[in-house]
Amino acid sequence: MVPKGVVIPGFEQLKKNKKLTKIWQFRHIYLFLLPAIIWFLVFAYYPMYGILIAFKDFKFNLGILGSPWAGFKYFEQFLNDSSFYDVLRNTLSISALKLIFGFPAPLILALMLNAVMHKRIKRVFQTISYLPHFVSWVVVVTLLQKILSPNVGLINDIRYQMGLDPIFFMGKPELFYPLVIISDIWKGVGWGSIIYLAALTNIDPHLYEAAEIDGAGRWSKLFKITLPCLTPTIGILLIFSLSGILNAGFDQIWLMQSPATLSVSEILDTYVLKTGLQQGQLAYSTAIGLFKSAISLLLIVAVNNISRRVSNVSLW
Amino acid sequence: MDARRLTPADKLYMTLNYSVLLLFCATALYPFIYFLALSFNDGYDAMKGGIYFFPRVFTLENYAKAFSNSLILNSFYISVTRTLVVTVASVFLTALLAYALSRKGLPGRKYIVFFFFFTTLFSGGLIPTFILFRQIHILDTFWVLVLPSLYNFFNAIIMKTFFDGIPEGLSESARIDGASELSVFARIILPLSMPVLATIALFVGVGVWNDWFTGQFFIQNENLQPAATFLNKMISEASFQSMTSSSGNSGSAIQNMTETQMELRGVTPEALRMTFVIIITTPIICVYPFLQKYFVKGVLVGSLKE
Repeated sequence: MVPKGVVIPGFEQLKKNKKLTKIWQFRHIYLFLLPAIIWFLVFAYYPMYGILIAFKDFKFNLGILGSPWAGFKYFEQFLNDSSFYDVLRNTLSISALKLIFGFPAPLILALMLNAVMHKRIKRVFQTISYLPHFVSWVVVVTLLQKILSPNVGLINDIRYQMGLDPIFFMGKPELFYPLVIISDIWKGVGWGSIIYLAALTNIDPHLYEAAEIDGAGRWSKLFKITLPCLTPTIGILLIFSLSGILNAGFDQIWLMQSPATLSVSEILDTYVLKTGLQQGQLAYSTAIGLFKSAISLLLIVAVNNISRRVSNVSLW
Repeated sequence: MDARRLTPADKLYMTLNYSVLLLFCATALYPFIYFLALSFNDGYDAMKGGIYFFPRVFTLENYAKAFSNSLILNSFYISVTRTLVVTVASVFLTALLAYALSRKGLPGRKYIVFFFFFTTLFSGGLIPTFILFRQIHILDTFWVLVLPSLYNFFNAIIMKTFFDGIPEGLSESARIDGASELSVFARIILPLSMPVLATIALFVGVGVWNDWFTGQFFIQNENLQPAATFLNKMISEASFQSMTSSSGNSGSAIQNMTETQMELRGVTPEALRMTFVIIITTPIICVYPFLQKYFVKGVLVGSLKE
């Protein structure tokens, strides 16, 4: 430590050298980071630079920089495009429904699993509940299509035995959202419950003992101890869900949609893919993608800040 | 809680709880049992309906056909190779990154972490990514199945949190004895981190095994198409003939698919699809329950703040 007011010649220089020595000490660690930095520059940051084409009349042979500027032409185009609003409405509807019905489901499952006192039975229940998370959406949608198929799918098979007419479940727009929600919960609820189960094991058992002595019942323990202790976990997961409100789930929706349900099933991600990769409107499609990414970024920052102020729960 | 002290209300609650959980687990398992029964049943007989738990006309024909078709076999070969390559490379590279980030006192660590973290908040999106793949000439090659899947920053965070829990003294004493960073990493950190390495291997492996998107949109050569993509093409081809316009199949893929189905005469496309689902799901079912005890902990440390 150097006392205030005392000037040692060359001290600043020394401090700088110290920093350089430290960096030199860690030179191998920087080398460890090198592959990752190169990969993220190429596969994450270069596409961010590629967003420029949303403002360009992009031609492959001219490249990203060489293509002529188009200004906000493509943003105006989608703001004036009526199908854009349908797509936005569908996206928000599916996300909101998933949030309302899908968000509490893992919490409820975790509380139910937590009430199972036999360790081994609990483990079996848990293992089975994770299974759907590990199979791909392609498989889940195949299961769904077969079970609901009008040609001797499980449900229509049973209906036939009962003398009822078959229903083409997957082709009915009014059934699309319920099927999306149910299959989403079916696939994700077990996996989603892991984090709550982990948080539940961290609750101090003395709290429950003390409450029991005070005569607290099952429900008052749930509302006065368990749920308050889970609030930070619920908060973090809610931040994630709210900031992903423009993600209605590409894989699931793409695989489940059919021409018959397009009016309710076209979401931002599927629309971007169709206009971009299939119709070749690269700039227009990138503009919609950028719109989506930018709003999502704003949302996650905003929700995180609000949450930090209100409840001290925050991602960073 | 002592079982003898249960009140009638508790007993009712418990019964209800177990019943709902049993019902849920039955729903999670049943579709696979249904498909298993159908995959071992003669396809034409299955069209009469009425098969729920056991095959009625038992046959191995569906599996025999599936395993003798060159396109199907090849798609499995691609998926297996891809999964092995990506899993090994990704776990090693992610560990390297996570170890570097977990080194205390690393100058500029805050900025480096932000450099990586920002990519989880914002991305270039589909079209710029497609243009990148085109510019580095990996479209329609095996590389497009490998390179883009090598890193995922969330996996690095899970590993870093695990490394943070390894006592500093272990690697410090090795360093005093003159061990290089590389040998500390390889001889001390990696051997102590098998649970988290297994967890990340599972996550990466399952993700790559299940990925149908890359094969569908970035691969045209059907000899390079992964099994998950092949399955998806089989579904969209058969169930929604009219849907092909929106499912991104190129003309040649449809033609090829029809040829494949010609080659598979004797089994119904429906039965073959059930069989394919069982084949593609079996490896996952065989692996994940054994790694469960690790990933349950892994998800916890990774998802909570440092």
